[in-house]
Amino acid sequence: MNEDEAYEYVKSTLKKEMITPYHSDELTIVSSVSRCINCGLCINHCPVVAAIGVDRFSGPRSIAVELSRSPPEYWSTADKIYLCTGCGTCKEVCPKNVDIPEIVNLIRARIFEHRPDLVPKGFMLVNEIITEHGLAFEPWADKEEKEESRDMRLEHLGLPFIPDIVKEKADVLFYPGCQAEERAQEVREAAKVILDLFGVDFTLLNEFSCCSLPSRLMGNEIKARELAKRLKNKIKKLGVSKVVTTCAGCTSNLADLAERDDWGIPTYHLLEFLAEEIGYARLTQALKGKRLSESVHISVHDPCHLIRHTSRRIMDYAMDILALIPGVKVTASEAHDSCCGGGGMVSYHSKDVADAVVKENLIALEETGAERLVTPCPLCTAQIESNLFKSGSSIEVDDLTVFLAQKLIKE
Amino acid sequence: MKLKSDILVIGGGMAGLVAGIIAAESGATTLLLRKGQSATAYSSGAIDIIGYLPEATEPFSAPSEGLAAIAGLYPLHPYGVVGYGDNVAPEEVVDTIIERVRDSVVWLKDRLEGTIASVVGDFQSNFSPISILGTTKPTCLVQTTMNPGDIHEREDSVLLFAGITGYPDFNPSSASKTYLEDRIAMGQPPHKVGFCMTKIMPFGKSFNISSIEIARHLDHKGSIETLAEQIDVQVKRIGATHVAIPPVLGIRHALKSKLELEKAIGAEVFELLGFPPSIPGLRLQLALEEVYTKAGGKLLAGHEAISSSRKGKTINSILARSPRREISIDTKAIILATGKYIGGGIAGNENGIRETVFDIMTVTGEYHSAKDIVPSRVTHRLEISPMGQQIQTCGLSIDPQFRPIREDGLEWAENVFAAGAVLAGYNYSVEKSGLGVALTSGYGAAMNAVDRIKGVA
Ligand SMILES: Cc1cc2nc3c(=O)[nH]c(=O)nc-3n(C[C@H](O)[C@H](O)[C@H](O)COP(=O)(O)OP(=O)(O)OC[C@H]3O[C@@H](n4cnc5c(N)ncnc54)[C@H](O)[C@@H]3O)c2cc1C
Ligand code: SF4
Ligand code: SF4
Repeated sequence: MNEDEAYEYVKSTLKKEMITPYHSDELTIVSSVSRCINCGLCINHCPVVAAIGVDRFSGPRSIAVELSRSPPEYWSTADKIYLCTGCGTCKEVCPKNVDIPEIVNLIRARIFEHRPDLVPKGFMLVNEIITEHGLAFEPWADKEEKEESRDMRLEHLGLPFIPDIVKEKADVLFYPGCQAEERAQEVREAAKVILDLFGVDFTLLNEFSCCSLPSRLMGNEIKARELAKRLKNKIKKLGVSKVVTTCAGCTSNLADLAERDDWGIPTYHLLEFLAEEIGYARLTQALKGKRLSESVHISVHDPCHLIRHTSRRIMDYAMDILALIPGVKVTASEAHDSCCGGGGMVSYHSKDVADAVVKENLIALEETGAERLVTPCPLCTAQIESNLFKSGSSIEVDDLTVFLAQKLIKE
Repeated sequence: MKLKSDILVIGGGMAGLVAGIIAAESGATTLLLRKGQSATAYSSGAIDIIGYLPEATEPFSAPSEGLAAIAGLYPLHPYGVVGYGDNVAPEEVVDTIIERVRDSVVWLKDRLEGTIASVVGDFQSNFSPISILGTTKPTCLVQTTMNPGDIHEREDSVLLFAGITGYPDFNPSSASKTYLEDRIAMGQPPHKVGFCMTKIMPFGKSFNISSIEIARHLDHKGSIETLAEQIDVQVKRIGATHVAIPPVLGIRHALKSKLELEKAIGAEVFELLGFPPSIPGLRLQLALEEVYTKAGGKLLAGHEAISSSRKGKTINSILARSPRREISIDTKAIILATGKYIGGGIAGNENGIRETVFDIMTVTGEYHSAKDIVPSRVTHRLEISPMGQQIQTCGLSIDPQFRPIREDGLEWAENVFAAGAVLAGYNYSVEKSGLGVALTSGYGAAMNAVDRIKGVA
């Protein structure tokens, strides 16, 4: 047997043992587990542990020291590993920055491959939608209805309609993400209003496709890599020099993909783009003279994918920008940076867990006395909004992009 | 991304946060980078100043006594360095050390007043809080919730250890035995000790419960009453004057819970010192962060300092990395408070022991180079002497201004100061001096950094 044959032989036995070798780009994640010193600091901060206790979710330390240690038995972690929201809190407080959220994805990928029967049913439904449409949500059957819904939202918010532009060699690709593309269309439209207002040379994709994060989170690594490749090809073909998004999950995932797959161009959240490329001077100018009659008292939620997966600086930008808007009073909630429960696709199979996680945010939010919650992510918006509504709260929720667009165009 | 600040603190434990508070209170714009939580949040939360001399078995009864001994025997100990300065005469060194450490203790007590980690105890004497094993250890300050009160003074004191069913960290039966044996040996009160179990069920069940769940649960309104009812019966049963419970009384409202309990049961209640990661450690960490931000300091969590750029004799900018972005930060002075092996300020591998941000020279406790010390070769049994394990004393050597020095004895950079566990020359676990050294050196380093930027400006 020569070396290559031996390699192939070993690979075939691995399959029998239900082991998938790690990709070379996963090795830093795998080696981060070996840095764990078993200190347990992470447990004190995990929002899922806080919401349901260590007996039901054994927590991040257990992921680092137990659940991730034996690939052939990954399947046996299924009752725990799907409860992590991937919020990244553990990784941020961990003295050794063990990359728990990515380890979770890695384990889920192996369960998906070897024991699909253990993957939550809710994931499989989304998986089918993604496979069929390249989108994380069932697209509208009727295009006209979709447009009607969009127009109704715009009218309700008092925002103008900026027609879609698709062209090559624009400076910026605006990438709304699945939620804003199919569901929260107002976010997509509001971003176009803002980009247009500042004269940004931007384009959309001619056919929108998912950034691949949902596939990664449920463990369909093959689909995730395929979607990532599809997106890269589209972006390369358009020849843009930057990508801007309004979704927190897309922000961190696009940054990851751009690095892993050598896109060679920077990716931004709209907030970063406004702060770094447009500048506070132009924002102030644009906000001046808009007679903002009513003042508004808001609180802000920090999406995990921005603060812990990308950089906390992005929410500093958000606060700076909000401070430029006349009449906006911000009161910080004690749980401003605590996961909304919407992460890790937990709500697709264990809604009670997701709801228990968001509960802490709702209590802290009520204590602020704010009338409105603003957050720069359409998924956090939806998660918190539906929970506030169910709890009978009068607090309204806005995506920050929409909130800002409204303030910018108001006469 | 770009940022600017007068003073940049690298590290968010006791040393970094104390330095940050001093800097922010001086009016300097202050930014603190933290890549994670560390030894400070991990600790039991009792603030040790100095408990023992290496090799000694009897604890010091007061920090001043210990500091005087240190000054004589180990002049290069971080506490020793506190005593040097241009205007300090040799015969004043000991008094200066004691005065400066006392100043920082008084300062810290004042800053923690009214926070979730308010402390009792003072610089005049060490006292001996009880641990969940039933043992005692000398320390200077403990959180108000951990104050055992007059238990060791009252002739008629009776202590009840109250455990929690399904909470594995604390075994009240064995703790009470250990403790009573000690007291009998010393011939001191309390002469009677008992124990009991209580039920606290954060998620409706009494098995597999962790400290954090109980602490959060007891923070909620109404949960203390249920506990009080259970303990009350037991207090009456043995006539307890004091009740010891594990350190889980709450995160935000622990003090309130203690007072409520005391009112309901008519006995003094206090938390024991617990295993890491302890809730009091968490409270200390959160309280320091709050004091820092209230003083106007900016905390940037999730960012790691990875490299720097030098202009002549100063470091004028630092590159920090978050999970998916990089920030370049311009600054006039830097305080390096990156901790030791847990915090990550000092790391050791097969290539020796090194400082991780700037690669500044590292030394051993005897101030020889630590460059070639390979930790895996010093895990031999003989390496652990009464002096402690030698790699615990490795770190940076500093000048009287707390600036790390190079091989030639000169400062590594004019505007880089260091504080806390990143320093060499002391062994916190043998001496019981960890948070005290972090406090005093953080305080001193920041004062020097503030003086420098005021002088420069
Ligand atoms: C288990 C345990 C129990 C203890 N109990 C006690 C006790 O009861 N009483 C007592 O007085 N002492 C105790 N100690 C000792 C005491 O906790 C430490 O000596 C003290 O906390 C050190 O504080 P520090 O601020 O220097 O370092 P740390 O608290 O370790 O903080 C270091 C900080 O630097 C950050 N950092 C490191 N590198 C970088 C970088 N490149 N960029 C950004 N940030 C960085 C880390 O993330 C961390 O925030 C205990 C220690 C341990 C380990
Ligand atoms: S990523 Fe969040 S939910 Fe998952 S283990 Fe870490 S802290 Fe808990
Ligand atoms: S993952 Fe990090 S915080 Fe959690 S136990 Fe391991 S080293 Fe400690």
